[in-house]
Amino acid sequence: MENADMSDGAAGGVGASPVRPPRLPADPGAGERGGPEVVRAEGLSFGYPGRTVLRGVDLAFRAGELVALIGLNGCGKSTFLKLAAGLLTPSAGRVLLEGDDVARLSRRTAARRVALLHQAAPAVPGLTVRQLVRQGRYAARGPLGMLREGDDDVTSRALADVGVTGWADRPVDALSGGERQRVRLAMALAQDARLLFLDEPTTYLDLRHQLEVLQTVVRLRAERRLTVVMVLHDLNHAARFADRIVALRDGRVAADGSPAEVVTRRLLAEVLGVEGRVGIDGEGGWPVCYPDHPLDSFQLLRNENHIH
Amino acid sequence: MTPSDTLTERPARARHRARRALRVLRAPGVRMGVLALLLAVVACAGLLAGRGVTPGGVRAVLLGAADDPTAEHIVLQLRLPRLLVALVAGACLGVAGLVLQSALRNPLAGPEVTGVTPGAVLGAVTATGLGLAGWDSPTAVVVAACLGGFAGAGLLWLLTGRDRGDPERTAVYGVLVSAVLAGLTAVVLLVAPGELGSVVQWLIGSTEGRVWQHWNLLWPWALLWGAAAWLLAGPLTLLRCGDEQASAAGLATGRGRGAALVCAVALTAGAVSAVGALGFVGLLVPHLALAVFGADLRVTVPGAALLGAVVVGGADAAAQLLSRLLSSALDADRLTLPVGALTTCVGAGLLLAVARRRADER
Repeated sequence: MENADMSDGAAGGVGASPVRPPRLPADPGAGERGGPEVVRAEGLSFGYPGRTVLRGVDLAFRAGELVALIGLNGCGKSTFLKLAAGLLTPSAGRVLLEGDDVARLSRRTAARRVALLHQAAPAVPGLTVRQLVRQGRYAARGPLGMLREGDDDVTSRALADVGVTGWADRPVDALSGGERQRVRLAMALAQDARLLFLDEPTTYLDLRHQLEVLQTVVRLRAERRLTVVMVLHDLNHAARFADRIVALRDGRVAADGSPAEVVTRRLLAEVLGVEGRVGIDGEGGWPVCYPDHPLDSFQLLRNENHIH
Repeated sequence: MTPSDTLTERPARARHRARRALRVLRAPGVRMGVLALLLAVVACAGLLAGRGVTPGGVRAVLLGAADDPTAEHIVLQLRLPRLLVALVAGACLGVAGLVLQSALRNPLAGPEVTGVTPGAVLGAVTATGLGLAGWDSPTAVVVAACLGGFAGAGLLWLLTGRDRGDPERTAVYGVLVSAVLAGLTAVVLLVAPGELGSVVQWLIGSTEGRVWQHWNLLWPWALLWGAAAWLLAGPLTLLRCGDEQASAAGLATGRGRGAALVCAVALTAGAVSAVGALGFVGLLVPHLALAVFGADLRVTVPGAALLGAVVVGGADAAAQLLSRLLSSALDADRLTLPVGALTTCVGAGLLLAVARRRADER
């Protein structure tokens, strides 16, 4: 398996028909693959003064996919999501959302097509759960529409989807971290977009709440036929819940494929910089990794491309 | 049913009823009604508190039964416009502060500390110093105060540059800009010392001597920009959720914030041109409004207007009453306490309380 070299292969295929052949679903209940392409990044680059974050990323996501983006801190995962949602302007390349260049779409039009849940959000004193979730309707209703009541069935559905209807009138500030994360997920769902981007949706959550959020995402993907792209730090979560894993390293795609293809010792070493073992879950059949220790010679290893 | 059942049931039902009553009290409409009542009380106090006419005389004039032309003049030509100007200026400052704090996502932002009020004062004082405007030509003062307010906000805008999204930095630059503008005002006063009385009215804020001409200029302006502020309630609520969340939800944050700032500057400049720099109203009324009406700005923007009116109207009535008491106690006939001195003193205390509460919350 030559996952580590796929970035170069993918970079060449801008004009070609589907970059990758549809893969077999890793888990039986995941639904069909190979729907129409809904996101397509072409030669996507981005940098801040003095630091390049993304270097010519080519990626395409198909309708209905559940993709996990993995990589070390600062490898460009979050930046990729923001670029793909049109919240940043690339320094080179472009992103097509359902065929349209996202840079040409107005902020509202883009927000009707893609909802992005950021890693963290500031506290808003006094805002209730329902009021916050309702803010997700902004793109659909516009500034004047937000002054009216009504059109709240989408809000109510979003509240019900993540199971927070019971505390709709509680202030967001009074909730625990896990509850707050679900409420923010509901706000993103209230945008009613077909594309859902999640930037580390499980950060700061305990194990139970991590599973709760991820299972909610998996369920909604199936119920709403959403396309979900999420940044995850836990490789085991990615292997278990996603049907495709894209690994980024130094602003490039380092590996891209089903969990069974991607999650290998080599990935652990090359992309995440840890020595570890990979096994197969006895019941689910998905790969499980056991990271053992960080590789001291991470930089060296990368230059020599040397794997044991 | 056993006796114990009824025993446990009765308190439960009472509690339920109490909770329902509380919920009714919590409804924004009810709170708005209570505030409106308070506004009426404050307005009456403002009409009655001044010198020269007894409460009975005021009542007679308002009922059209007065035969004293002096009393009629005092009530209808002096007290009534003064009261209305105070109320509307307070409403403007309250809304302007709420809009600013929401747009900059900074609970310590207010027109006073973002260069808007000092800029407006500088504009008005400069125009007065150059002989272009005075208390007897309110139109020119409004124009000069608006220009100054926009210049102050523009200076802040330029200075903050790339840090515009950062509330803390904006606050620091705002204090800086305000200090510079206040310094410039002092320079203008040294170079072209005007009538001391009118200058003090600018710097501290006063409602003395406001007449129907001021009112006629103020209310259309306040209505226009107040309506604009209410139309911005949607974007402003989103801006309070942070730029990242707001733009992910579909708001062009730069444009939304720009519109909100223009609205806040216009409201502040209007208020300053009418009553001068009333300290702390724009900074503190929004805190009260958010505490009373919650984070839904569709309700809280009108709520801040009502609260601002009540606060300034109340302060004006209190200032008149205090002036009357002080002048009789000190036997000084012409002693008047400017309303701005009162709002500043009370406001400083309240700000201390707010700051301490915020520190406790951390």
